[in-house]
Amino acid sequence: MTYALVRPVRLDLNSYARATGLHPEVVRRLVVLGLLEPVRDARGELCFSPAQVAVAARIRRLHDGLSINYAAIGLVIDLLDRIDTLEAALRTAAPRH
Amino acid sequence: MAPRRDFYEVLGVDRNADQDEIQRAYRKLVRAYHPDVNKDPGAEDTFKEVSEAYSVLSDPETRRRYDAFGHDFRQVPPDVDPAQWARARAGAGARAGAGGPRGSARAEDFGFGGAEGVDLEDLLGGMFGGRGRRRWGPVPGADQEAELTLTVEEAYHGGRRAITLSGGRRLDVTIPAGVTNGQRIRLAGQGGQGAEGGSPGDLYLIVRIADHARYRVEGRDLHTSLPLAPWEAALGATVAVDTPGGEAKVKVPPGSSTGRRLRLRGRGMPNPRGTAGDLFAEVRIMVPQRPTDEERRLFEQLAAASRFDPRGRS
Repeated sequence: MTYALVRPVRLDLNSYARATGLHPEVVRRLVVLGLLEPVRDARGELCFSPAQVAVAARIRRLHDGLSINYAAIGLVIDLLDRIDTLEAALRTAAPRH
Repeated sequence: MAPRRDFYEVLGVDRNADQDEIQRAYRKLVRAYHPDVNKDPGAEDTFKEVSEAYSVLSDPETRRRYDAFGHDFRQVPPDVDPAQWARARAGAGARAGAGGPRGSARAEDFGFGGAEGVDLEDLLGGMFGGRGRRRWGPVPGADQEAELTLTVEEAYHGGRRAITLSGGRRLDVTIPAGVTNGQRIRLAGQGGQGAEGGSPGDLYLIVRIADHARYRVEGRDLHTSLPLAPWEAALGATVAVDTPGGEAKVKVPPGSSTGRRLRLRGRGMPNPRGTAGDLFAEVRIMVPQRPTDEERRLFEQLAAASRFDPRGRS
């Protein structure tokens, strides 16, 4: 039995910056602020999963639309995610009669 | 296109509100309607409307021109007298008769041709990054959520259904058979619009199964009551029971009292990935409200002969 080695799809810093429309330095800053979750590849370079593109879009919408600074966006995102989790739990809890 | 709302009305402020009041109204509204905070499909349009109103009213110069010329102020050359504009507008309106709700007086009336094709979106630079900020290219849209209430039968059979979202958008969606309460149906690309050419977000329909007169839904299992005559319950019977998938036969074992649950395996909600839920029919013994003389006599005979005591303490 042989298995094909599948490389996980990862974006390096530059392609991630291109995909998100952010300057690479801004990406680095968002990583330092803990807003993006990159992984390190074998050479120790920053790598991003494609799902992180949507994360960056949300950060940009919050930043541009509400003038929230990047440090505070971390808190806003954490709270929004918590509300999502709680609302999902509420919905799946079967309504009792 | 619906007639555009007055910018003061959009922000909910008076026409002579000061800048602080306008800013306060704007801040409150964008916090409530930001597409990442408010997942309602209608929220994004409100957010854009509010942002546009604020971008015009927050600047004293554009506000003055908006007050004078209304929504078309961008198409009016800078040195036009408001009174003259109003007269020309009225004149053009009379000439055109009932020719459309707005835009009957166009910039051509002032020898300012070619402005007709100017799109307000272009002028504002879209929703984000338009207000003097640095542009960084496309921003993908946010995901949206809407609740979809289905009857038990609709959830059981699935199928196509037309829905109207709170923003007024209509969609035809295909509901998979056997959706459950709280399940999310993803409609890719039907969410919030991207800005500056970004891809749109997804729309999630959250299924809520409405209360049903006959069925109670628990996950994929259905619960229903099974009314029985006393003799059916005592002697056993095979009776028909309604299920969302049609009538089913249930075999009632002899000696079934109220509360006994009979399971019809696989007659609950279908499961596209795995085994279907079960239907539980709960026995409920019913007696005739007005027994005939014959029934009454037989019950009395039974009462006299029987030594059964349901409250007996053993």
